[in-house]
Amino acid sequence: MDTPEFEVTISKTGKVTVEVKGVKGPRCLLYADLIKEIVGREEERKLTAEYYAQDGQVRIHTQVRDSSSD
Amino acid sequence: MSAVCVLTPLVIASWPAISAAISGAAAAMGFSMAASELYEEARPRQKKVETELENSEVVADAMSAGEKIVIRKGDITIEFGRDERGRCTVCVTGTKQSDKELRKIGEEVAGRVIQQFTYNKLVSELKKRNYKVAQEEVLADESVKLRIRL
Repeated sequence: MDTPEFEVTISKTGKVTVEVKGVKGPRCLLYADLIKEIVGREEERKLTAEYYAQDGQVRIHTQVRDSSSD
Repeated sequence: MSAVCVLTPLVIASWPAISAAISGAAAAMGFSMAASELYEEARPRQKKVETELENSEVVADAMSAGEKIVIRKGDITIEFGRDERGRCTVCVTGTKQSDKELRKIGEEVAGRVIQQFTYNKLVSELKKRNYKVAQEEVLADESVKLRIRL
């Protein structure tokens, strides 16, 4: 399993770019949101194929049926 | 990679934090700190251009009112201060440059101040949250690249 890491590039004009690597699925946005919280305002966000890849977690969906009403 | 985000830094801090960023940027660009009293001397044929640090706010405190920082390189003098709205102002003066050149210098220095401030804040906050800066690199275009891990 890849070690999650992210790269932050601060340009000489102050623009900040965050690239999240090694994290599949929506969890990657946690790191992007962390940097956004520290730095400031988000201008643009791009989600890549890795974002939409399965993150290996099991999700259980439950549904309760009410059989008492006919 | 899974996501790429572009952010615009908000420079909202107390004067000491912004001063630290100005000092760092000045050193990196070859400017030296100057006493503000020297700046107030009248200089002949001096041009002045004023701008401000984008998305900035100097949080008012007892020390920031009327405080200025002056940096100098050759005949270029740049004064940082705080206006009534709390914005960080940048005033560039010079004798040999056109207004356009002075404005460009002011914008370059302001950008580097924002870069330094953002760097300082990021490293400090990430350290508090137990993240580790695994690698740090200055790129050819003078960007600073940080590789961060848990």
